[in-house]
Amino acid sequence: MQIKLDNHNKNLKLALRMKKAKGDDMNIDLSFSGKIASMKIDGILNSENAHILQSKLTEVMQSDATLLELDLFDCRNISSTGIGKILLFYKDFISKGGDIEVVRSSNSVYELFSMLKLNQLFTVNLG
Amino acid sequence: MPDRHKILVVDDSIAIVNSLQAILGVSGYQVETAYNGSDALRKIHQNNYDLVICDIEMPGLSGLEFLGRVREDFDNSLDVILMTGYLEHDYFIEAIRLGASDFIRKPIDTKQLINSIRELLFRKRGHNDVSDFYCHLDKAKFSFDISAGHFSKFTISKIFSSYLRQYFKIDPMVLNELLICLDEMVYNAYIHGTLELTVPERALMQDELHQVIDARLKDPRIAKRKMHLAFEIDNEQQMIEIIVSDDGDGFDFSSWIKTVETEQILDIKEHGRGIAMLYHLSDELRFENEGKSVRIRKSLQIPVANEHR
Repeated sequence: MQIKLDNHNKNLKLALRMKKAKGDDMNIDLSFSGKIASMKIDGILNSENAHILQSKLTEVMQSDATLLELDLFDCRNISSTGIGKILLFYKDFISKGGDIEVVRSSNSVYELFSMLKLNQLFTVNLG
Repeated sequence: MPDRHKILVVDDSIAIVNSLQAILGVSGYQVETAYNGSDALRKIHQNNYDLVICDIEMPGLSGLEFLGRVREDFDNSLDVILMTGYLEHDYFIEAIRLGASDFIRKPIDTKQLINSIRELLFRKRGHNDVSDFYCHLDKAKFSFDISAGHFSKFTISKIFSSYLRQYFKIDPMVLNELLICLDEMVYNAYIHGTLELTVPERALMQDELHQVIDARLKDPRIAKRKMHLAFEIDNEQQMIEIIVSDDGDGFDFSSWIKTVETEQILDIKEHGRGIAMLYHLSDELRFENEGKSVRIRKSLQIPVANEHR
């Protein structure tokens, strides 16, 4: 019985892994609950993998979600290309009544968002 | 008494973590602990460990998933010993496929574990000799030219981080900021300087963008362009210098520099964020050759304010 349960869990994990978007040094998990889209980004978001974020943000834009919750606690840093993708999405998202909230962020991302004044556009929480 | 090698022990069982911490501590190792895969992943990106011992069955990120992420981020430069209480054949195969350094069964045979650690650290010593050599050089330089056509086939930041991780003991936080700087420099040299992409083109989805890039690379004027990358590590001064140049037309960088120098905090603008980030993350930023070349210098020492980030 134990083995069956383990295999079931493994299959479930493999299935879940298929839904993750992966790039070099970066992973994005996106899930939806009602009108809330939750996105967790791990690793470094740079010009080489920013297209994955762009594709995930497009999914959010095409959904019924009106709030995007970003978990950036395990995001070690974001390049200007990644910031550009977020801002581009933000402009379109607010025009359809949506909003963004960074529910958690690493120190480096928090500092970066403060420097670029992104915390004046939407709520950015540290840690 | 062995050297104070640093080992990270990862298990959701507090009892096992405490037990391993005590055993490895007595054996002369410096031990740090984590109770889940996500916490462990965070720690290996903030500290330099010689080895990780990780349980497979953990809630959230499993040991196998953790191992997969370690191999993605660190190649084979960080040894991971996996532990499991189950004897499933699938686990062995998956662990080997993902590049586990060794596989230990629970309940743990202490002697077997210590032997495994010693063997792995001994094997690593050969590599450490090379690493020590680089670390004791006064200065080390590395430079290369790459054609526009070949550039997109490689992940430059991965090559750069792999080289620095293997041969130089750079703090992970500093390395993280260096990777962003390099990304900004290389991206600008490729997208602006070399390919001359417009703002709408840069916003295209990946497939369409690749079509535009392929079309640009068919233009002989652009295809013959090269990018030049160089970095120099000064171990005496504890500084690194990175230079990225392109064969494009350059740009008027002086107004941008003035903006980031006079405005301590840059407002949100359509352009210039990359320059602001370079200015923010480096200790010295300089453009040369009419903007075709950008150079940054950055201290390899951790800023005091960031020591506990």
